[in-house]
Amino acid sequence: MLAPLALLLGALSLALAVWSLVGAVRAARPSGGQLLLAAVLEAAILVQAVIATVLVVTGTRPLSTATFAGYLLTIVLLLPAGVFWGLADRSRWGNGVLAVTAVTTAVLVLRLEQIWNG
Amino acid sequence: MRPALRSGPGRLLVAVYAVFALSASARALVQIATDFSAAPLAYLLSALAAAVYVVATVALVRSSERSRRVALVSVTVELVGVLTVGLLSVEDPVAFPDATVWSGFGAGYGYVPLVLPVLGLWWLRSQRPRRAV
Repeated sequence: MLAPLALLLGALSLALAVWSLVGAVRAARPSGGQLLLAAVLEAAILVQAVIATVLVVTGTRPLSTATFAGYLLTIVLLLPAGVFWGLADRSRWGNGVLAVTAVTTAVLVLRLEQIWNG
Repeated sequence: MRPALRSGPGRLLVAVYAVFALSASARALVQIATDFSAAPLAYLLSALAAAVYVVATVALVRSSERSRRVALVSVTVELVGVLTVGLLSVEDPVAFPDATVWSGFGAGYGYVPLVLPVLGLWWLRSQRPRRAV
């Protein structure tokens, strides 16, 4: 796990959460810009996941590797699932789903850091 | 079919329920698999909470008239569960050496477990099918 990258992941997730929340309050549906941000966030998550996997395989691993792996798998799959579920609703509630997904992603980033650092 | 149950606010509700179904299941699985004897009551309640969230999520997604009743029952169990476990964990911490999703009324999860069943019941009520006169 790269700490600066984790910080970036947290910042991007929170940015997406705020953007989606504002959209939901304004009764807008998710915009192209939000999807772009979600795509960039997912790409950064994948980079982090690859780095973490390489580190674990080469011997640098957290105390509880199984828990860490579970969280890692969840964070990789969560955002695509949330975007898929949220976009199906062409109303403010699609933005609500994105906001929940983004906040959950931010929490997972935090938990991953905690588990990695023991 | 009543797809209304999973659209609009229901869509958001399903997303939150899915997150809790996943996290509660993972938590219960790890607790029971690694050290069940440490806190059997808390871990069994974790498993119950996980099952309730999974059933509620599936029922909301299915969105049929029958699944609306299933959702109603599971969300009610959820509300009773979070209130009971919340109260017990505060009154008698010794009985709960390890936390469940519902401990301290869901304080470890930003009290979302306490608010969620109330929102769920409100949503299910507002989506009640109208009877023919």
